[in-house]
Amino acid sequence: MRKEIVENHEPAAPPTQPVKKKQVRKNEVRSSNGFGYKIGLALIYLLLGVVAVFQIFPLVWLFLFSLKNNQEVFELSPFAIPTNPKWENYVNVWTEGNISQYFLNSVLYTASSVILTVILASMVTFAITRMKWRLSSLVLGLFMVGLMIPIHSTLIPLFSTFSSLGLIDHPLSLILTYTAFNLPITIMILFGFYQVLPREVEEAAIMDGASIHRIFFQVTLPMTAPVMATAAIINMIYNWNEFVFVNTFISSDNFKTLTVGIQNFIGQYMTDWGAIGATLMISIIPILLAFLFLSNRIVEGISAGSVKG
Amino acid sequence: MGKKAHTLLVAMLAVFMVVMAGCSSSNEATGDSGSNGEKTIKFMHLWPTGSAKQHNLITSDIIAEFEEENPGIKVETEVLENEQYKNKIKVLSSSNDLPDVGVTWAAGYLQPFVEGELFAPLDEVLNDGLQDSFVAGTTEAYAINDQTYGLPLELNIAPVYYNKAIFEEYGLEVPETYEEFQEIVKTLTDNGVAPIALGNKDRWTGSLWYMYFADRFGGPEVLTSAINREGTFEDPALVSAAEEIQKLVDNNAFNRGFNGLSNDEGKSEFMNGKAAMYMMGTWELPNYTTNEDVPQEFRDSIGFFKFPTVEGGKGDVDSFVGGPGVGLFVAENSDVQEESKAFVKFFVEKWGERAVTEAGVIPATKVDTASVDLPDMYIDILNELNNASNLTLFADVQMSATVAETHLNLIQSLFGKEVTPEDFAKQHEDALSRE
Amino acid sequence: MDKAMSNKGVIMLYIFPALFLLLALIYIPIVQTGYFGLMKWNGMGSKEFIGLTNYSRLVQDSLFWSSAYHSFLLALFSVLSLVGYLMISVVLAGKIKGADILRKIYLIPMLLASVAIAQLWMKIYHPTNGILNSMLMSIGIEEPPMWLADPNLALFAIFIPIIWQYAGFYILIYYAALKNIPESLIEAARIDGATAWDIAWKIKIPLIMNVIKVTIVLAVVGSLKYFDLIYIMTNGGPNGASEVMASYMYGHAFRGFDFGYASAIGFFLLVICLVITWIIRKATAVKEEIQY
Repeated sequence: MRKEIVENHEPAAPPTQPVKKKQVRKNEVRSSNGFGYKIGLALIYLLLGVVAVFQIFPLVWLFLFSLKNNQEVFELSPFAIPTNPKWENYVNVWTEGNISQYFLNSVLYTASSVILTVILASMVTFAITRMKWRLSSLVLGLFMVGLMIPIHSTLIPLFSTFSSLGLIDHPLSLILTYTAFNLPITIMILFGFYQVLPREVEEAAIMDGASIHRIFFQVTLPMTAPVMATAAIINMIYNWNEFVFVNTFISSDNFKTLTVGIQNFIGQYMTDWGAIGATLMISIIPILLAFLFLSNRIVEGISAGSVKG
Repeated sequence: MGKKAHTLLVAMLAVFMVVMAGCSSSNEATGDSGSNGEKTIKFMHLWPTGSAKQHNLITSDIIAEFEEENPGIKVETEVLENEQYKNKIKVLSSSNDLPDVGVTWAAGYLQPFVEGELFAPLDEVLNDGLQDSFVAGTTEAYAINDQTYGLPLELNIAPVYYNKAIFEEYGLEVPETYEEFQEIVKTLTDNGVAPIALGNKDRWTGSLWYMYFADRFGGPEVLTSAINREGTFEDPALVSAAEEIQKLVDNNAFNRGFNGLSNDEGKSEFMNGKAAMYMMGTWELPNYTTNEDVPQEFRDSIGFFKFPTVEGGKGDVDSFVGGPGVGLFVAENSDVQEESKAFVKFFVEKWGERAVTEAGVIPATKVDTASVDLPDMYIDILNELNNASNLTLFADVQMSATVAETHLNLIQSLFGKEVTPEDFAKQHEDALSRE
Repeated sequence: MDKAMSNKGVIMLYIFPALFLLLALIYIPIVQTGYFGLMKWNGMGSKEFIGLTNYSRLVQDSLFWSSAYHSFLLALFSVLSLVGYLMISVVLAGKIKGADILRKIYLIPMLLASVAIAQLWMKIYHPTNGILNSMLMSIGIEEPPMWLADPNLALFAIFIPIIWQYAGFYILIYYAALKNIPESLIEAARIDGATAWDIAWKIKIPLIMNVIKVTIVLAVVGSLKYFDLIYIMTNGGPNGASEVMASYMYGHAFRGFDFGYASAIGFFLLVICLVITWIIRKATAVKEEIQY
């Protein structure tokens, strides 16, 4: 299957050099007489714009939500601006409990498990798609099964595993669990890309006598930077918002994460929704920044890769 | 090649070690210092600083006091919100790793923990004279096979709160009988006001209404005896109660879409003055008395009445749905069981008075209304509690967990009119007899 | 070259760390879940071996099958939604102005925790003052639907936020995949006079077919074990109308104290996922042969 795809590329591969002139002409033709084309473009923009509004409004809503008290949360329309914005929700959230420690922990756990997951998954995918061994599809299958287990049926077994290892109430239990649970999906995402990734560069490197580790770290990893960024974003979001494992494995306040900050405001009889909104707003900022940064890497990585290719 | 592989492996191991070391060094700072003869009681509760500030504060004060009076004993707390708390307790009990002291619920919730021998009997603590300070009937809800496994901290009843301003506007009076209640519902719906606020996604909220009808039709024993299998759920009174619920639904007595609303959402209909009545446990009292976030005007306009009697029914007006809320347990396999029992006793003794004055919790221990300064509504409720002819524990707490799930789902169907009153009773009977 | 690429030591080194984590932290729970499924166990105290009783109960449990049906429906709609996400991605990855900023905006909801998304959609679906019903009432509909409270609508009403929640996820993957296509291929086609439509259909999509297949598996498996929003927004109700397999299992494990049965459901869920994934792989493999 793999081979077929590569072969499939090759006939389509273009004679690269003598084309520029032709292309320019084509473009001119299309843009000058394309009235319908312009309408179509306008429609596409309209559609994209509508979708964009839909996608950005949750953030606006959340911000307004974070400035309300319980009364206003239920009474006012979701997009009404409260007459007295409750900025104190933010103060409340910042001063209540151990939030800076939670914040630090969230960053630490998320960062270490994302790095660990992406590197380990890349190694596995590399070994499966690039190297020749008999059990490769079995191993791939094993990882795929890992996608299919619902987390709530793993809690009790995992707790007893970590308990016997003495890792309960230890940050490592979280980092390892996040890594293990995100490996399957990360491998799946990487797998789709590795299959279509041109092999010529790697093959050339082998011809030059480079070692496998060199090829992996210096050729393959840089080429897959865009998909690693993609996988990192997905991993990051999962880990950042995770709370079931945190609550189950961690009992010391010092090791808990930002999601605890949210639960802090959920009560048996009363829930402070405004404060939850403020916590959510605070916790979205770092992940939004990391996302924007990584998301630029998707494009940069590609151009870097294509120069090499 | 092989050499490089080894270098890589060594490098990865090194990183791993650094992470481990980093983590364990931060671990030392918090680890229990059991080495110098100090004993640590682990205490898990569900009052986070954010949503239950007063509870949390009182708890830390009591702990500080306890530690001072008992040198050499430290109490370490872990706090989780209600839902997460229940889940964690579940996971911990599966590996017999419960905290030394924790929070539990009564009756049906308690049963499997007792059967699994996870909770220690607390009778010796009670027999020390502590029993007398509890309101009669509260510790009994924590007793299984004549042994008490939890010390209750709260006692709640569910009256019907009503908005005096709305009642006044439409010339309505507090109902004494169910006919009058129906008249009120009719007047309100005719005027486009939602009579009753209800969020029935949470299901136990609707169960309160059903329980009152069961009590007023069949008397205080009928539901309890159906659950403990002395009676049957197909008792005519229990079927009539279900019919009455559907009549209320037909008359649009509840706010629109109640089956899809959480209790918080349903409650907001009452809190913003759109709905005239709301039935809920007395834990809501702070919202009508002391909670500064609720406008004073609203708080002043809220009163409560007892669920009216139905004509020809066996129940009387002083019978309430309610009972003890959370209580404290001590783990059977605790290394510090004696100390934990002492702590639980100490906690209960200190909790009562402060809980009612500072957190607005009606404790399961007796409150001397003469000596504490409380809002009028609290005094009234406490008086009602003293005069109560009966307290029927919340049905989903009385039942075992599996039956409770069936009951709650059936309640939602009953309110949604997806099940007939007869089927409602029959399916309860089936679930109960299967146990 | 072949020799270098089949060095057993290196393969071991690359596979082992990840495989170890997988076996230790995912396979041990899977095996234990299967084992608990053979027990009568309320999660505490002693277990009693009852063989396949839980599984035979499961096969006859109509509530389980209705929740399984809901999960299948979700999987179906999730897969259908991929078409839309793919189209958006193709447009975004094309060279249109503002694609970069649009792409970032599209992914924002993905960053939100489920709690936030659930709260937002509960506000949208609120029967009296929700955004949706306010709009419907303002255009003259007097009795707008009650969405989450209506047993006939609850399931579909809750599918919308679930599917929407993952928009960013799939757009992100497709976008990266499309950007991975060598520019030269597309230029060549353009020179040959292919329209943007042709390029999308005949070059871009076939080239990222592998990624699309992966996303189909992810969408199906993700839907079959989906839990979060259902749990927060409807709790499986009203009366089981929006119950899915994972929420049904959760109810038995953490509410009903029926851990043996819940484990059986969890294990069965895994088996269902395996079978369906196998079918998908078979089906897409056949297509491939026709294509090439």
